Amino acid sequence: MPSFISLIQNENMKIYRRMSTWVMIGLLALATIAGALMIKGTHKEEATGDWKKQIIAENQTLKAQLSEGNMPKAYNKQLEKQLRINEYRLEHELKPIASNSFWGFVVESSNLIEFITLFTIVIAAGSVANEFSWGTIKLLLIRPASRSKILLSKYAATILFAVCMLLFLLISSFIVSAVVFGVENVRDPYLAYQDGRVVETSMILHVLSVYGLNSVNLVMMVTFAFMISTVFRNSSFAIGLAIFLMFTGSQITMLLAAKFEWAKYSLFANTNLMQYIDGIPPVEGMTMSFSIMMLLVYFAAFNSLTWLIFKKRDIAA
Amino acid sequence: MKPVLQIKNLRKDIGKKTIIHDLSLDVFAGEVFGFLGPNGAGKTTTIRMIVGLMGITSGEVLINGISIKKDFAKAIQHVGAIVENPEMYKFLTGYQNLLHYARMVKGVTKERINEVVELVGLEKRIHDKVKTYSLGMRQRLGLAQALLHKPSLLILDEPTNGLDPAGIREIRDYLRKLAKQEGLAVIVSSHLLSEMEMMCDRFAIIQHGRLVGIESVQDLVNSSQKVLLNVNPVEEAVSIIRQIYSNALRQVTKQGIEISVEREQIPAINAALVSKGVKVYGIQTVAKSLEERFLEMTGGNEIA
Repeated sequence: MPSFISLIQNENMKIYRRMSTWVMIGLLALATIAGALMIKGTHKEEATGDWKKQIIAENQTLKAQLSEGNMPKAYNKQLEKQLRINEYRLEHELKPIASNSFWGFVVESSNLIEFITLFTIVIAAGSVANEFSWGTIKLLLIRPASRSKILLSKYAATILFAVCMLLFLLISSFIVSAVVFGVENVRDPYLAYQDGRVVETSMILHVLSVYGLNSVNLVMMVTFAFMISTVFRNSSFAIGLAIFLMFTGSQITMLLAAKFEWAKYSLFANTNLMQYIDGIPPVEGMTMSFSIMMLLVYFAAFNSLTWLIFKKRDIAA
Repeated sequence: MKPVLQIKNLRKDIGKKTIIHDLSLDVFAGEVFGFLGPNGAGKTTTIRMIVGLMGITSGEVLINGISIKKDFAKAIQHVGAIVENPEMYKFLTGYQNLLHYARMVKGVTKERINEVVELVGLEKRIHDKVKTYSLGMRQRLGLAQALLHKPSLLILDEPTNGLDPAGIREIRDYLRKLAKQEGLAVIVSSHLLSEMEMMCDRFAIIQHGRLVGIESVQDLVNSSQKVLLNVNPVEEAVSIIRQIYSNALRQVTKQGIEISVEREQIPAINAALVSKGVKVYGIQTVAKSLEERFLEMTGGNEIA
């Protein structure tokens, strides 16, 4: 019986010995650099002394909106949080983190995780479907390794690819940011709002949590693409459907959520866990733990369907 | 002798249709066994069930006595196979392809990979990408991956597909060598009778998913043969043959007299002709009887 490690080695060989994988990695590096240069170009030097005036003006608007009181509760909470943090900044002379600064860009570039999701979807969609279209599945499945083990090695290699890409993005955004914007504000803290109090935490922790929370969506979409790829044995269909849902899923859910409460059970109402920290959940009353439960249910459903079908299928390709 | 492969009452249903009906046969070590049948007869389906690519509806496949259904990993480690075309990862080199399959079995060393590469004669091109390989080279690479883990049962589905005559001959000789010298049980499938005749010791004729019969090539050759006699004068020879074997005469053509007799009867006819003063210029066996036998068994001209 082959060890699980050697099966993953095999899958890695099939991922990294292909030109298209390296094109994707190159594109990610390019996007990071291009993003930094674009921000550098558009954000001209802001007058340094002015940030206090800006915050004071912002606070006045926030207060006005709060006193009107006709907004939903979750929205008001959001405004209050912003207000508290702004007050804290004035009190402690802490300049807000601009996007054209070291930390600003590192946080900004986490948006490129969408790219990584896209690329990993491509890898996941090909993982099983390509073996069928290449005809190699027939030679792959006549070895002393169970189908479950082979499927798991494919899934693991796909997730491993995503992790590598995330690390690559994190490291390259650090390097690019340091080169383009300098490391002036590297010691600035992140201001979090917890239980009605503003606390100073480290910026790197904040960045890691942003990465972590964004990866939830990545894992769900990749698992979905992996399932479609296994069920339909067609990589283009899996890529197309997963990307379509990735871009329209949350909008459709928002539309539904405005009318129906059951929209909170849809996958896309729950994939964005950032909404519990920095935003407003689509349906009132949703909590972080509810979303995590829903995600686990979807995750288990996707994976067991994939596994069942792969295990039972007659290979007639 | 214990068979390497035992198939017992194998049956495959797809939907309501039965694709394979109640197939039973044994294949022994040291023999080349053929699956012969027209396209769509169920050869490939049978092979797929033997190697576990397709589920078995009922019946059993035992490899060295181990059931492929109940203990897949243990049974399959004795099997090397090419199912249909030898499709490889084209973006990898031949060597990387072999490495890939070597990693999936315990105990295949780098030395073994090199040994197999040498065995199939791919040393010069093994580090080239598979997409640059010709069909013949892909067949060799396919054979290499099937032999990596020293299987006791080798299954090749249409092994001569797309090969030139020299390549066909090479594969044929090689398979015979593997069976005779290494004691492998080899299964090949084909829709070409002539190929079976040259490659196999025994073959099963499969038609419409049923086993029509199992034939030994040796027996067939020894039984009834078609013989062409080149003699002068023809008329006298014909009358002599009529006297000894009245049923033997087939027809008289420009090439000579065609008769159909058993192997042991040929010297007797020759002796009779010579003793009566007929000049015998040549006696030539025309190995057509196998094909006739095949058509007889399958009852039609469905063979390609």
